[in-house]
Amino acid sequence: MSDDEVKNPEKPGRRYFLETVTGVVAGAGVCGAAWPFISSMNPSTDVLAKSTAEVDLGDIAVGEAKTVEWQGKPVFILHRTPEQIAEVRKSVDTKDPTPDEQRVQKPEWLVVVGLCTHLGCVPSRKDKGWFCPCHGSVYDNSGRILSGPAPKNLILPEYEFLTENRILIGKKEG
Amino acid sequence: MRYILTSLLFSGLLCFPLANAWASSDAPLADIDFDRSSESIKRGAYAAKNTCMICHNLKYIKYLNLLEIDFTQSEVDTFRGKAAFDSPIKSSTSPEVAQKLFGMVPPDLSLMAKARRGGARYIYTLLTSYQVNNEGVVENHLFPGIKMPDPLTYAYRTDEARQKELKQTIQDVAVFLEWAADPRAGERRHLGMYVIGYLIVLTFLFYLLKRKIWSRLD
Amino acid sequence: MSKLMSWVDARFPLSKFIKEDLTDYPTPRNLSYWWNFGFLAGFVLVLQIISGIFLAMHYKADASLAFDSVEHIMREVNYGWLIRYVHSTGASAFFAVIFIHMARTLYYGSYRAPRELMWWTGQGLLLLLMATAFMGYLLPWGQMSYWGAQVITNLFRATPFIGDEVVVWLRGGFSIGDATLTRFFALHYLFPFLIVAVVLIHLVALHSVKSSNPSGINLAEKDNIPFHPYFTAKDFYGLGVFLIIFCYFVFFMPQFFIEADNNIPANPLKTPTHIVPEWYFLPFYAILRSIPDLLGGVIAMGLSVMIFAAMPFLDRSSIPGGARYRPFYRVLFYVFVIDVIVLGYVGAKPPTGVLVVVGQVSTFIYFGLFALLPFLSIKEDKWLRKRGLPAEVDVLIKSESEEIEKKAKKNT
Repeated sequence: MSDDEVKNPEKPGRRYFLETVTGVVAGAGVCGAAWPFISSMNPSTDVLAKSTAEVDLGDIAVGEAKTVEWQGKPVFILHRTPEQIAEVRKSVDTKDPTPDEQRVQKPEWLVVVGLCTHLGCVPSRKDKGWFCPCHGSVYDNSGRILSGPAPKNLILPEYEFLTENRILIGKKEG
Repeated sequence: MRYILTSLLFSGLLCFPLANAWASSDAPLADIDFDRSSESIKRGAYAAKNTCMICHNLKYIKYLNLLEIDFTQSEVDTFRGKAAFDSPIKSSTSPEVAQKLFGMVPPDLSLMAKARRGGARYIYTLLTSYQVNNEGVVENHLFPGIKMPDPLTYAYRTDEARQKELKQTIQDVAVFLEWAADPRAGERRHLGMYVIGYLIVLTFLFYLLKRKIWSRLD
Repeated sequence: MSKLMSWVDARFPLSKFIKEDLTDYPTPRNLSYWWNFGFLAGFVLVLQIISGIFLAMHYKADASLAFDSVEHIMREVNYGWLIRYVHSTGASAFFAVIFIHMARTLYYGSYRAPRELMWWTGQGLLLLLMATAFMGYLLPWGQMSYWGAQVITNLFRATPFIGDEVVVWLRGGFSIGDATLTRFFALHYLFPFLIVAVVLIHLVALHSVKSSNPSGINLAEKDNIPFHPYFTAKDFYGLGVFLIIFCYFVFFMPQFFIEADNNIPANPLKTPTHIVPEWYFLPFYAILRSIPDLLGGVIAMGLSVMIFAAMPFLDRSSIPGGARYRPFYRVLFYVFVIDVIVLGYVGAKPPTGVLVVVGQVSTFIYFGLFALLPFLSIKEDKWLRKRGLPAEVDVLIKSESEEIEKKAKKNT
């Protein structure tokens, strides 16, 4: 074997089967080894276990709104008066038109995620709905966007009525 | 000579942790083959709940974790009673009462199988070492001075059949606590088999590649 | 691609660096597998930094939360148990690899001229590694963590005049507490990056003097081969073997390197019945205990670590290399290895009875060997020269001098 071959064994155009296989297997291993680290940044099991919230509606008077926490986010629960219901049922002429019937399970109870769909600020309660202090989006009593920069209505969380006066927000596991 | 050096170094390095392990002058532990089946662990959970958990906490295990040892949802619901599904398993004795009764708060059991050399064997040995001594008092002959009274009244089980039955319960409790101390052990060993298997293949490929590349020098 | 490369190369010597220091880097062809351990140490360093950063995302450096947060990692964080066991096993692996790396250097005389700076930066790395490991061991806030830190910080009481003040200052309190934990965490996160910096210096020095080799003499140019693909292949094969052993511990015996007592939360009111440091500190710990005086013990322990730095001065032989061609030195080396193992065993046991004497004798031998080296190496030199050097060495010396002559001719 010549000296040149020792110093420069990789001749251009010469590919080795063994090198390719080893490279692929090692590459797969590196990806596999990365997964536990990536996965460790996902919610841990105790956080996942807390992904539902049970709320007692008994103490919310008619016409009153309450903010509860679910998955670290505010959820607005509004106990609507018949007038409020009548008003939101009247028109669907908003930026993101959806009839109120599709946004509630029971007409007197509105449950929405209290984060402005614009950039995630928490809107504050204002006479006929909510008003976002950050960039001035206005929502009605169905959580629908009326004006301002927000593109969409307030998001509806999954929830179910456990009893007449108790709801479970979020998906129940199992 | 190289081989002497190699073996010396490696055995020497291994010596240190081993010397650590030898350093204990603990009581001799029972030599038994544990039944680590999920039935056994599950039986252990019930037994521990009815005895250990009267005084001890198991704070790193939540009721929902019992699903991992083949409890069904309804079994967990019965097991937890009024306690919340995601709350840790707590003792039914308050720390104040325990302090009065034993002069100390009984230690949490979640890590007991890791915190004692021998793990499950330690727990098994401890619980089967209660005896009635000459003066008619129950004592633990291997761990004298322990504050825990014979929790399963092992000392009074003189009849052989019933003692055997109780030994089974004690082994169940021991493997349950072993699981509680390291609930990810099953997952760990399972994944470990694949990892080691993969590494052997990879190392073999590396070996072939190395041999091939170095053969150019011959 | 080549356009980008030339753009970069006009501004930064990237191709030159890759060619001269990675692919074509000239490496002695006769390196044995003992030369794999430097690469392995670098690998473990990276592994520890990565696993450590991910642990720090979940760990809480607060005395009331630390223990719980480790259990949270072990039980609830996805693969938290794996990352934690990689990190705890990695600490032991790091020392095992470094000790072998050092033993190789001692055996083959790699610390000798012109590689003194490599040996001394290595000595600095050892100290940094020890400090990092010691501070990291406090973080799980178990009984062994707590009492280990208590005992070791107490060693600083030996500081003249202001010993007590120094100890309080180190701890940020009158005993190990929240303040100690928080500062140890901050420094445990910082030190690895200092280690990286010193490793870079270590590597710059290496690439200036090039690798030593089993013959102990610089090989002629013709006996060097490019690092890639020869040593990349060899290093990766070694890495594979290392990973099999390492992963066996991580997945099947992860508690092997963790003291049982460290699964009990720190209790400042109750010392465990038998405190032992981690295995990698045991020989030094045994030396500390063998001297029946605090100050003397601390000095002896410090010296036992630092004395390695004196090796280039203590070894006065003119015969190239280490133990390979030097029978006396070889005996010295093996006696030293056995002595360190004996010290490690003594350090793990309670200091009672005959073990105290064994510890003291081993400590005496430990330092005695270093003291003996200057005389022994001169005597050995004379004896070997009188007998005539082994033919192999003669050939090597001749080929080296030819090489030097050739270079000198080229330069004139």
